[in-house]
Amino acid sequence: MVRETQQVMKPKRQKKSVVKETEAVLVSSAEIERYNLRERLVHWTVAISFLYLLLSGLALYSPRLGTWLYPLLGGGTNIRIWHPYAGVLFALAVTIMTISWRRCLWMYPEDWEWMRYSWKYITHKEGVPEAGRFNAGQKLLFWVLAFSGLILLLSGIVLWFREKFSRELWLASILAHEIFAIVAMGAIIVHMYMGLFASPGSLRAMVEGKVTEAWAKAHHARWYKRVMGIS
Amino acid sequence: MALELKAISATNYPTLGIKETERVCKLIDVSVCIGCKACEVACQEWNDTPVEETYPYTGSYQTMPELAYNFWNLIKFREVELGGSFGWTMAKYQCMHCADPGCLRACPAPGAIVQYTNGIVDFVQENCIGCQFCVTGCPFDVPRLSPKSQKVYKCTLCSDRVAAGLEPACIKACPTGCLQFGTKKQMLEKAMKRVRQLKAQGFSQAAIYDPPGVLGTHAIYVLPHGDRPEDYGLPRDPSVPWIVSLWKGPLKTVGNVVLLGGILTAALHYLKFGPMRAEEKTRG
Repeated sequence: MVRETQQVMKPKRQKKSVVKETEAVLVSSAEIERYNLRERLVHWTVAISFLYLLLSGLALYSPRLGTWLYPLLGGGTNIRIWHPYAGVLFALAVTIMTISWRRCLWMYPEDWEWMRYSWKYITHKEGVPEAGRFNAGQKLLFWVLAFSGLILLLSGIVLWFREKFSRELWLASILAHEIFAIVAMGAIIVHMYMGLFASPGSLRAMVEGKVTEAWAKAHHARWYKRVMGIS
Repeated sequence: MALELKAISATNYPTLGIKETERVCKLIDVSVCIGCKACEVACQEWNDTPVEETYPYTGSYQTMPELAYNFWNLIKFREVELGGSFGWTMAKYQCMHCADPGCLRACPAPGAIVQYTNGIVDFVQENCIGCQFCVTGCPFDVPRLSPKSQKVYKCTLCSDRVAAGLEPACIKACPTGCLQFGTKKQMLEKAMKRVRQLKAQGFSQAAIYDPPGVLGTHAIYVLPHGDRPEDYGLPRDPSVPWIVSLWKGPLKTVGNVVLLGGILTAALHYLKFGPMRAEEKTRG
């Protein structure tokens, strides 16, 4: 495994020829592009706006966290002004993400099948079915977050322009905003734990865009075969 | 009567009060209100709130359709059916200074809403962030946002005057004795006496309006038709909205469990199972 022979394989353009040349020599040191620049930009827009929303939301939500989150995020009044704008940015970026990944994120029958093995996946047991570009757990997590985001957006609009809505609707929106913020917070803890700690290589994939062949094979075997042209 | 803090919004440490203070109270005896609006004028004068252009005549004597950020004291005039005949009610409306203030419970800005040991609930605009959660929390629909400053305002029960040993401006201006001020105990006694008089005069439903849903208020009413508070523009059985209680109570615990539990579960999972390394998985 010589360093010079490493190269990035762009699945769309040159995958076939590259595979042929390197198949024999390289097994685990070749690199595959997992997220292109646009996907990474969209992801990090979603991530940063989400983090701001979560932290500023927590500041407004809990006095204990507020004491240090308020000064950190620009003070109460600024948080009140910026939180909804961050929400708009988040909603736009998630919409782009949903549209561009709609096929990769759709729950196909094999994904529901995969879910039956999710406990095995969590406890690192053998026998979990091969996953496509995203495994079913990632897909469901996305849809939980996207659905929460939609509810948070709608209830947030009511709280933002409260003089235009009825008192009953404000109260319902406060309840919905809190419940789905808790759901989203729970989901993001799982996502951040997986991406930052539990699955080494995932963070690099989202920052540099590339993964090793070994990573692709181990975590997303069906996707690996597809981009490498192996049937 | 010095002001001492009893409760501070969005603050979870106890307040520092050690002084013994009596609870103060405003008594509004609706039966002797003549609708002169002296209290409205006195309120604006003492608090230096500018007079807005009056609304076009709508067929009512009421000064404004409702309270405003710069208009904290409003006599509501209503034409209603009382005891089978026409009735014209006039009742002063302002912040009730609840013992259990929904505004303070809903407020997320530390120190923006305070409750003094004497019962006055006050807004501290320097600390207000303009989110209007207090508007949602108030069962009496009192706080109002200023479009200019983006802060909320309401009646202070003249906390500045009361702290200096004076009665609130509206009380001072009232010519009929409809408005009285003193300790809550004194005012309840006066109110009870007045209710007895009214009952003797034939107002069999006369009652004190001191709603228990908010643990009582520091502005109480004597209503000749106490069974119909709506006819005086007062809500029947007001209480802090259950959603606000749920939001600031049990749901907060759920949120804490999800946040701390999630982080703890992730940490335990990492210690037990460790990371999923691709190299190990493909080697076998």
